[in-house]
Amino acid sequence: MVLKLYGFTTSTCTLRVAVVLKEKNVPFEFVPVDVLKGAHKAPEFTTYQPFGQVPYIDDNGLILYESRAICRYIAAKYASQGTPLLPTDPTATAFFEQAASTETSNYDPFVSGLAWELKFVSWFGGKTDEARAKSLQSQLSAKLDAYNVILGKQKYLAGNDITLADLFHLPYGAVVLDIGLDEFSSRPNVARWWKDISSRASWEAVKGGI
Amino acid sequence: MVKLYGFPPSTCTRLVALVCKEKEIPYELTPINLGKGEQKDPSFTAIQPFGQVPYIDDDGFILYESRAIARYLIKKYPNQGTSLIPTDPKAEALFEQAASIETFNFNAFVAPIVFEKVFKPRRGLTPNDARVSELLASLESKMDAYELILSKQRYLAGDSVTLADLSHLPYGAAFYGAGFAEVFDKRPNLSRWWKDISSRPAWLAVKDGA
Repeated sequence: MVLKLYGFTTSTCTLRVAVVLKEKNVPFEFVPVDVLKGAHKAPEFTTYQPFGQVPYIDDNGLILYESRAICRYIAAKYASQGTPLLPTDPTATAFFEQAASTETSNYDPFVSGLAWELKFVSWFGGKTDEARAKSLQSQLSAKLDAYNVILGKQKYLAGNDITLADLFHLPYGAVVLDIGLDEFSSRPNVARWWKDISSRASWEAVKGGI
Repeated sequence: MVKLYGFPPSTCTRLVALVCKEKEIPYELTPINLGKGEQKDPSFTAIQPFGQVPYIDDDGFILYESRAIARYLIKKYPNQGTSLIPTDPKAEALFEQAASIETFNFNAFVAPIVFEKVFKPRRGLTPNDARVSELLASLESKMDAYELILSKQRYLAGDSVTLADLSHLPYGAAFYGAGFAEVFDKRPNLSRWWKDISSRPAWLAVKDGA
């Protein structure tokens, strides 16, 4: 049975899984969940995903949620096909985990907060908190200064090979750029890295929606 | 000997210390004085570009991001102390799901609440109570999902404790002790789980300082 991806066509976290499925050449069936109509909060959904969030996968009966966990599962299960996205040797693995953790703590809170305040909040009937958005942008800016240092020494976040950690940055990075907040271009190493990862065929294939 | 560079009361420093205790890994703590801004010194940021504690020096191998350090140490010493990350692919996927739940469905709310209600007052700043209320409202619904998950299994990833459970301790304990105990206590399964993990000897050994 082909892997089923339950998500919303343009949801950042759904796209995070989709880009990895493409990189690993894993066929999948997309099952749309209408989050704008609250389908992700309905009992038929929360039975599988108790937090009422997209996406989740059903891989032949194995239900898994949290996009980064799904991506790790796919990258490990299909290690021998498509692009290698998870290192195997202990040192490279440690640097991968450092990069993956960096994305969750030194990038995601700021870009996802900005995406919420400046784009998504209005979809759910709310208003932008301008002070919060300003604070988030300034914090993101400081974090990307550190990224610029790291990426001045190596091609990707975990070393000289691309890993899941780089790809995890794509969905919210694209939303923030789309809103008109460009904190990448002014930082040459970040700009180089962003151009590289965002021009991959796998991202081109899904960035407009599944 | 693992050299741990951190601030003894810091949540993230204590997570690494906790894992060292669970895995029976001796470590030597070099205190970094956050009050004096030592973590922003060029000599520190040359090693940890985000200017954050902790980092480790394991016989010359430098690593930062507490969750990455934890994973590195756990994988390095699979045969001693508590087993904290499963190796079976399905169990590992469920661990990754739980680890991601901790980061995005717990820490994302608890850490800023602790920042407002514990850290800010210590620095003579006024908590943003409106923000705390918002965060708390979101956290309550997340804890309902935890309650459901923990009604079916002993720990977040299944019936064995993993790093995903332990990762909740530093910020969770600060939250619990800051007047929010009822959020856990009023939910029987969550309460059972919290009592279990927070009474582990390894946690008791480091909870008041790494």
